[in-house]
Formats: sequence, structure tokens, C-alpha cells
Amino acid sequence: MSADALLSTWLRPSRQRVRLDTLLLGLPGLLLATTLVWRLAGLVPAAILLLLCSALLSGLIVRRARRFDQAWLVRRLDARRADLEDSSALLFADPQALGPLQRLQRSRLDQRLGQGMPEELAPDWSRRMIIALWAVALLGIATLLLWPRGSDKPVVLAPAAEGIAAKPGIPRLVAQNLRIIPPAYTGLSLRDEAKLDARAPLGTRLEWTFRFDPQANAPALLPLGGAGVALRRDGEHWIASRTLDASFLYRVDPASGRGPLPPLHRIDGVVDAPPQVKLIAPAASLNMVAPGQRSWTPVFAATDDYGVAATARLRITLAIGEGENIRFTEREIAVSGTGAARDRRFAPRLDFGALGFSAGGDMVVQIIVRDNRVPAPQEVRGPSVILRWPAVKAPESGGLQGMVNTTLPAYFRSQRQIIIDAEALLKRKRNLSTDKYLSQSNGIGNDQKILRGRYSQFLGGESEGEPSLPTADADGHGEGDGHDHGPPVATPNVFGEKEDVLAEFGHPHDESPASSLDPETRAILKQAVDEMWQSEMQLKQGRPDLALPFAYKALRFIKEVQQATRIFLSRVGPELPPIDPARRMTGKREGIAGNFEPLVAVEGDDGPAAAAWRGLAQGQMPLDALEGWARANAARLPDPLALSGAIDAARRDPGCASCRDKLRAQLWMAMERPQGGVARRRPADAAGARYLGAIGGRP
Amino acid sequence: MSAQVITALLLGAAVLVGWARLLLWQRTAGDLGARPWRLVALLLLQPVVALLLYFALFPPALPVAGGTLTVATQGSARFASAGKGAHLVALPEAPDVARAEALPDLATALRRYPDTRRLVILGQGLVARDRDAARGRAIDYTSPPSRPGLIALAKPDRVAPGGTFAIGGQVAGLPKAQVELLDPAGRVTDAAAVDGDGRFSLTGTARAAGTAEFTLRLRRADGGLVEQAVLPLRIEGDAAPRLLILAGAPGPEVKYLRRWATDAGYAVTVNMSAGGGIALGDAPVAINAASLRRYDLLVADDRAWTGLGGARGAVLDAVRGGMGLLLRGSGPADGALRGQWRALGFDLSGGNGVAPIALPASLAADRARTRAGIGSADIPADLNIGDDLLPEATRMDGVPTGRDAVPLVQDAAGTPLAAWRALGAGRVAVWTGLDSFGLVLSGRGDLYGDWWSRMMAAVVRPIAGSMPAFSGPAWVSERISLCGLKPGARVDDAPLAIDPATGDCAAWWPDRAGWHQLRRTDGSSAAFYIYPANALPALRTAQMRQAMTLLQGTDQKTDFATAARAFPGPSWPWLLGWLIASALLWWFERSRIGRMAIPQT
Repeated sequence: MSADALLSTWLRPSRQRVRLDTLLLGLPGLLLATTLVWRLAGLVPAAILLLLCSALLSGLIVRRARRFDQAWLVRRLDARRADLEDSSALLFADPQALGPLQRLQRSRLDQRLGQGMPEELAPDWSRRMIIALWAVALLGIATLLLWPRGSDKPVVLAPAAEGIAAKPGIPRLVAQNLRIIPPAYTGLSLRDEAKLDARAPLGTRLEWTFRFDPQANAPALLPLGGAGVALRRDGEHWIASRTLDASFLYRVDPASGRGPLPPLHRIDGVVDAPPQVKLIAPAASLNMVAPGQRSWTPVFAATDDYGVAATARLRITLAIGEGENIRFTEREIAVSGTGAARDRRFAPRLDFGALGFSAGGDMVVQIIVRDNRVPAPQEVRGPSVILRWPAVKAPESGGLQGMVNTTLPAYFRSQRQIIIDAEALLKRKRNLSTDKYLSQSNGIGNDQKILRGRYSQFLGGESEGEPSLPTADADGHGEGDGHDHGPPVATPNVFGEKEDVLAEFGHPHDESPASSLDPETRAILKQAVDEMWQSEMQLKQGRPDLALPFAYKALRFIKEVQQATRIFLSRVGPELPPIDPARRMTGKREGIAGNFEPLVAVEGDDGPAAAAWRGLAQGQMPLDALEGWARANAARLPDPLALSGAIDAARRDPGCASCRDKLRAQLWMAMERPQGGVARRRPADAAGARYLGAIGGRP
Repeated sequence: MSAQVITALLLGAAVLVGWARLLLWQRTAGDLGARPWRLVALLLLQPVVALLLYFALFPPALPVAGGTLTVATQGSARFASAGKGAHLVALPEAPDVARAEALPDLATALRRYPDTRRLVILGQGLVARDRDAARGRAIDYTSPPSRPGLIALAKPDRVAPGGTFAIGGQVAGLPKAQVELLDPAGRVTDAAAVDGDGRFSLTGTARAAGTAEFTLRLRRADGGLVEQAVLPLRIEGDAAPRLLILAGAPGPEVKYLRRWATDAGYAVTVNMSAGGGIALGDAPVAINAASLRRYDLLVADDRAWTGLGGARGAVLDAVRGGMGLLLRGSGPADGALRGQWRALGFDLSGGNGVAPIALPASLAADRARTRAGIGSADIPADLNIGDDLLPEATRMDGVPTGRDAVPLVQDAAGTPLAAWRALGAGRVAVWTGLDSFGLVLSGRGDLYGDWWSRMMAAVVRPIAGSMPAFSGPAWVSERISLCGLKPGARVDDAPLAIDPATGDCAAWWPDRAGWHQLRRTDGSSAAFYIYPANALPALRTAQMRQAMTLLQGTDQKTDFATAARAFPGPSWPWLLGWLIASALLWWFERSRIGRMAIPQT
């Protein structure tokens, strides 16, 4: 026997055993997974999974069978067969290459080999594993198959309420059920409606089950103004189904038009609302970098009616540079949210270093959130938040003086701060020594002086010495002395940058800050400065209590200034016609007041609705024109379906007073409100005219 | 000449004829031996018979003794009792009163008990049918305790299409009650709590012409429903007025007024001056009596009014003839403007400055939706809904007042912005607003239209047209009087009989609730609404009490007349006397008494 034949003879049982064994081990998992997918995702994904897994399993089988080769056989024979005396390798050795002793041994082995069967070498079944796996798999499959599925819930018919009298021989709807199977992404469970009217999310599958008595031949489900839905018979019942893609009205016609017209029913499709994004932190949309800040974490909240996708995109726009030399970079990063699906929070941590954000730059972030609507998720962009890192050195030059005008509002807080400081000082008066009290009052007085100086500057002149920032640390108080003016600001000109709308969007038409104020504002500002004088005087004399009334007055005047301040923007001027030099200075005025176009009044057009409104009051039914109008103007109506339904109900039963009332109610909502219309008074009668004439001067 | 006089004359003539015949017979018969007293007796019996016949036909009145009649009306107790010796009658509205005589109306009762001088009314009072019969008698009536509910309701006779209207009323017995106005679609369009006196005012908007039934709902402070009643409205416009706008200078106010008035259906003519003799706008209108007759309303600013000069007299004459005049200011008030206004009877208080108009806050979205109609392609319905941004609008810093000036438009703070007064058959109004156009630009065009249409409707030249059938609410099977009619008028195709006593009124008993049509002979028609019998019970009781109080007030004056009141006596004794006298006369004439022996010739 050649080595190959020997090998195949001795290996075949083992290989077959191991193939079968692997198959038995793999099959339960495969079946379980396939069943699971079939139940959850349907037949096609299950089939695909089955094919894939079968291929995988086949590969595994082949791989495992490959391990049973010559080396394995030699090891196995040596291990199992003592009579082969650990020499079974000789069986497969090339006879030509063997020595004489080896040949002898080999011939002995050839004889002994026949005493055993190749099957004996086969590895054991992995019995326990097979049993356990099959038990688990069978149990799992059984559970999956027997688990009550929503759509398999037995249909329980509710009695119909069509309000149609029974007529012999004409089928009539006697029982009904409307099954509403919302799309999976909404997470809503299936429900049964006893009535034929329902509200459901768009994309919902609607399944009607009807029973007719006597049995109908060709019942139909007729949406108003649409194609009918075919009913299919299932034993005693008739079944129809349709996907809800828009709200509609329909009726169930059991007798194909032979019987009375059944009433309309209404299915309302609820549109999936796009997600709502709110900025939770920071509170303002423009924020400044705090000193020492290295990262920033804006927090957004996104809510949706069915669920927000777990990941959102954050668009980060960096504006780095100054003046005209600004570079923009834009990137989008994925951020993942936390919290419930309907109310997710996104709090990305933005590291300045990683993003390349540095002083003098702006970082604008905007979150883009999707919901989990299935055909196409709805995407919503959230509010933009700006983080500003002021440049270390503010741009300042003589040439910019006229363009960059520090606006007033920045200083209001300072006047208020003086009041707050003075009040705080008054409260602490008892605990302070007289000297300290005086010196602190003097310090506040200095603040007031600086502030006054600043405002005096706006009035042109009157400024004393070098104007400095009112909040700059003056004598007598500094960091940690109990009344803080907030973080120090880099330079005076940057202060108030936030409100510097004028510099950002326009330019003043003048040179100095003083002349940019209108006389009224100047007058108020003057009063404010006067009050500051008084306040400063009292503060410097150590009488903050007497200073307070003046300080309050000053604050009030400043507020008035704030409200009175106008910012003059350069407008796109009127395009004046060129001056005709031939005509100039001649005094001729002919033809200069030219064409005066007549106006055309706007036309309202709720003609048929108003006509029907009047007609219904008097017992007429001009419904055809109304129906056409309602269809043509559906987009303008608040509830076109309800109007169509009311028209249909009134037409179906012309004698029904409540139907007409309902239709009139719908019509009221479907009418335009005419813009004008005059109810003029009536002329006075003879006596009235005499009276009016007597008091009015005409007999 | 009355029947009595004619009868008396005829009878007198008959007596004379009888006498003549007797005397002639006596003469022609010759001496038959009759005694003279026989002739005298025959002559005397003639007028006696005539007199008896006359009294049989017209029995002499008998003075009536005082009597009391107790009348049970709606809402009286079932075991009501009449006073001693008084009669108890029950009118149809009364419940089943024990031992009462059921009678169809009070007039029948009074015919049956003619000696009645005093009426004791039990229950809520007499209905309109019986009030005339009770007039002139002493009335004892104690109003029953009033039931809580709506006791007064005021609504406009008619509303212009698309117009804003106000409903007022009063609620009794329900402190802090809530009143809701529901539009015909059943949506709450306005709601308010009643004030300390129980008064309330609600606002709604109309749509196209026709009839509309709003609903008024009265709720207790805790929200429980007390009553609910239909509020019928007649929506009807009139012919578009012709409007002349004069302006001393072009400006946004004129521009937007022209735009609005054109859209609102006015026929607008604008004349603006640009100075230096330059006129802008439509073809210049010469201001004189003839040209002003073509306009129903003139809107002028102070500069244009000054510029009119001598033509102002013509304008005022036109106003006395019925035209409306609306003056506005082109800027803050000054001496000239005050002078102009004073000449027209308006005083402007306050200074020469400018004050902000307190604008009402925007309505909540759901309310606003009920006030607006559907949108159009150009103006979506929800364009301005839910927008709480308030524009700025200013007015002259003052309030127009006057001896007989009526405030017209008020801002949210209650400051009157306009006032009108009558001048002859026409009206003059002044408007202190300065830049109301800002309302249009900032999405409050509804408010702008509301203000201007109210002002214009108040002063515009009156026009003949449909008149309401009657005023006040009316209930089923209660008599209503329709006035201003000519023979041939019909209600719901049923002809009306004009009462000759009034000349132009007719009574009508509605037999079903709802809308009815009154068609006049001139082709105009007016719809009116009849409430079901159980609607607005408190209001009905309140009205009845008011009418009863009026009745009680009138009886004092006619008490003497009541005392001297007489009642036609029975005619049968006179008839019997006449019969006996006639028989006697007949017998006596034939008898031989008083005659000599008959000559045997």
C-alpha cells in the first residue's frame, strides 16, 4: 500500500468525524442567530446571514479537517498503538531512503497495522458541548419563535358605528379594527383602535380588518380624492393595509355604491418634528476667554419627539489674526451625547492647544444634531456660540481714533459699581476705624473722579489730566480688598469692545467723541457729570451717605444717555436724479411733480367660502364650488381635511342640521378676514335732524 | 261722526217722522172723538221708545267699584292665594296654580273682572302682551329675588365685514365671574373677568357679510359653567365711502393711510402740497360746496387745514350737511393747531411735546389665530402671530376734550387718542396720533386698521340703508313689535298687519328660535335673531323687572282716572223697557181707550 493510500485510508474516518463534529457544534449558533435576525429584521437579512455564516462554518470545517494530516496520524498512531512501537513514521517514509533495520521494522509495522481499524483513531465527539449548545440553541429558537409578536396579536373586532340602517341584501359594516403599527424608530408600540379615526406618526403601517353582514362581494376602502385601497378576504374578514404618508379622509364602502354613502373617517398623520437644540452653557452667545483658561466646554441640549441620534457634529470655525489678516479655518468633529434619547446633552471639551486657538482669535462653534427618523434623519443646526480671546495688545493708533470710538455703555457698570462700593462701605462703617473709613471713601471718590473725567471728555474739554480707566486700581484698594471690579482688562480701548457696535458695523461721521453726541444727549450727559461732581465731593469728604443720592442721579442720567444714544450708520443713500443744469435756477416748476401712480387694492378671494357661509344660513347648499375652492386652497386652510369631511357630511345628509353647523364652523375658520368694510351710521330721522341742526348751527 | 251720534240722529229723525205722521193723521182723520190726552200720550211715547232703543244699543256707563285681581305669572308659587275677596287668575306663563282661573291673557281677565282697580302680580311679572292691558291700574308687584347670571348685554346692531366689534354686558350675583366669547367655530376668541360691578367687555372680529352666531359663556370664579347664550351678529357693510385726503406735505402717514384706505375699499383721492405751489397726488380738488358733496369724508392735517384758508367755511358747511371731517396733526401740537381745534370745539390738554402711545400687548397665538382670517399667498396667516415685539408709536402729549366731544380710540393705558363731536348733520373728529404708520411697518397692521376704521366709521357721512328690525333680545312666543314698516312688509314670507294706531309698527309672535328675515317693501331686508324660550333667563327676568318698574311708575299718575273709570252697563233692561214701551205704544194706538164712540157712519 502506497503512503498516500495508507494516509487517506487512515485519515478519512477522523476527518469525517471532525467535520461532523464541527458542523454539529456550529449549527446551533448559526440557527439561533438566523432565527434572531429573522424575527427582528425579516427574512432577507436572515437569509443573508445564513449564507454568510454557512460559508464561515464551511471554512471552519475545512480548516479543522486540514489539521488531520500525516504528522497528526503518526502522532496518533504512536500514541494509540503500542504495537507500532513509536515507529509509525516509518510507514510514510520513502522506502528507498530507509536503512535495513528500518526496513525490517517497517515490514513488521505493515503486518501489525492491519490489526487495528482506522475508525479507532478518530477523535471523540465533543458530546457535552454538542448537547449543551443544541439545548441552548433549541431553547433559544423556540423562545424566539413562540415569543408573542406585536403584529401577531389576535385582532379583536369592535362593533362598527357607521350609523347606517340595515337594508336587506345590502352589505353593511358590522365590525372593524384598525391596527396601527408605528415605524420602529419611533419606539411606539403597536396599538388597536376600535374606531376608524386615528392619529399616528407618518410612516405608520395601518391595517384595517372589517366584517360585513351580509358578506360583501367587493368592498372598498375609498380615500377622499385618492385611489381606492383593495381589500383582501381572509375568511370571514376583509383586510386592507396602507402606509400612512399623509393625512387623509376615507370611507368604507361595503356595497360598492349600492347602499347609502357611509360616513367619512379621518386618519391624521403626525409629522416627526425636527430636533430642538438649545444652548445651556454659556448663557451668552459671545464669551470671553478667562485668564488661564485652557479649554472650553459649551453644553448643548437637544430634544426630539422620538429621539436624537447619539452622535452629533460640532462645527468649529476659528478666526485667527487681526485686521485684514484674518485666517478662517473650519472643521467638524463628532461629539457623542449623554442622557436619554429624547433629551440628549452634548458637552464637547474643546482644548485650545489641540485646536490651535490662541490669543486674538475667535472660536465659533455650532452643533449639528440629527434625529433618528428612518428614511432620512432630520438635521438641525444649533445656535452659534462665540468664544473670543482678546489680543494681548489691542490695536490702537492715532489714525483709528475716529473709527474706533469707545461707546458709552461700558462705563455704566462703573457708576453702578461706585454706588455698590459706597453702600458696602456704609454697611461696614461700624467695623472700620475713622481713618480707614475716610481713606476708603476717598478711594471711591477717586474712582468717581476718574469716571467723571471720562464723561467730561465726551462733553469736549473739561477733562482733567490723563483719562484712565475708571476701574483701574486706584489708591486705597487693590486685589482682594473686598470690593472687586472684576478681572483687570488689558487696555482701555478694549474695554467695551463687546458693545462697540459702531466700530464694528459703521463709522461715525465726525472726529471727536464729543461731537458725535446730539445736543439732547449732551445736555443729559452734562447733568450726569454735574451729579458726579457732587457725588465725588461728598465721597472725598468721607460722607458716602450724602454722596449716594447724587450717584444715583448720575446713574439715572447715564441710563437716559444710553437710551438716547443713536448710532449713525452710513446708509445707502437715495439715488437722486442728476441735476439738470439747463433748468437750474430758472424757477420753472413744470413737470417736477410727476407721475402719481394709482393704487390697486388687494383682492381677497374667499368667495365660495363666504357664499357657502351665507347660503348655509339660509338653507342653501352651494357645496360644489366650495369643494373645488377648498381643494385649490388647501395650503391656506388651517385644516383642509376637516373642511372636506364637513362638506362631505353635509352633502351626504342634506337634512342634518348639526352637519351644517359643523360645516359652518369649519367655514368660519376657512374665511379670510376682509381688510376693510364700513358700517356707516344711518341718517337721522326728521326729529333727529332738527335736533342736530339746532345744536350744530343749521336750522 | 261716531255710531252713537248717527244712531241718535236717526232716532231723533224717526221720532220727528212719528210725530208728523200722528199729527197728519189726526188732521186728515177728522174728529173721531179722540180725547186730547190720548194724542199727548201717543206723542210722548215716541221719544220714550226712541230713547229706550238708544240706551239698549248704547247702554249708559256705570261707575265701577274698586276690586283687586291677583295675577299669577311665570315663576309664581303653585299654591299662591289671592287676598280676601280677590280673584285669582293664572296667565299662560304661570305654572299650574291651584284654584286659579286660567285665562289666555290679562285683557281677558280684566274684561271678566271689570271692577278691577288693583292688580297684584305674583311671580316674575307681565310679559309684553299684557303690559298694555295693565297700564292705568294700580299694580302691586314685588320683584322676585334675582337669579345670578347675565342681566345686561350690549352688542352692535351690525358689524362691518372684517371689522372688530366689542360686546359689553353685566353679570349679577357672581363675583369674579369669567366671561368668554367663542367664535362661530367654537374657539375662545376673548375672555375676561368681570369687574367689581359685574361689567365686562369682550372683543371679536367679523368675517364676510352674513349672519354669524358667536357664543357668550359665563363661568363662575371656579370655572363652573353658569350659562351660555348665542350672540347673534349681523355682518353687513355699506357702500364704500369716498375719501379725500389733504396733506400739507407728503409723508409716511399719508402714504400708509392711502394704502390702507384703498385696501379697505375706500375711494381715495389724495392732494398733497410740496410747497412752492407744487401739488402732488391725484388731480387737485377745488374745495367748494359742489366738490365736497362728492366726498363722504375729508382727512386733513393741520398744515393743509391752514392752507385751505377761506375754503374752510365751505368744508364746515359740508360737514353740517353730513360730511365727515377728520383732522390730524403733522407734528407735535403747537399754538396754531390748538387754535384750529378750539375753533372746532376741541381742547387739547397737555403740553406741546410728544408722548408714546401705550400699545396693547400682542395676543397669545391661539387667540390671535381666532381673530385673523386665513392667510393668502402674500401674507401668511401666522406672519405676525406670537411676535411680542411692540413698535414705537407717538402721539401729541395731550388729550382732546370738549364739551360734547366723545372719546373715540383709546390706547392700552386708556388715553383717548381721538374724539369726535357732532356739527350739524355731520361729525368732526381729531386724532392725536403722529406716526401710526409705524404699526403697519412692524406687523401691527391689524391695530392700525382697527383704529383708523373706527375713526372713519365714526365720522363718515351717514348713508341710508338697512335698519335693524328691532333692538334688544327677543324670545320665542313673546310678542315683538317691528317698527318703521310700510304695508306689505313680511317676516319669513308671512305678511305683517300694520297696527293703525301706530301707523308703521306691527306685532309679531315668533314661533321658532333662530334667524328670521324681515323684508321691507323697499326691497331691503334685515335679519334678526330670536332666542329660545330658555335662553338668557337672568337677562329676561331683569328686563321684565325693568318693564314692571316702569309700569308701576306710570300708575301713580293715572290713579284719578282709574277712580273715575266707568264701565258700560248691561243693555238688556233697556231693551226690555223698549220692548214693553213699543208694545204699549202699539197696543195703545190700536186700543179704544180715550176715544169717543166710533161714529157709526
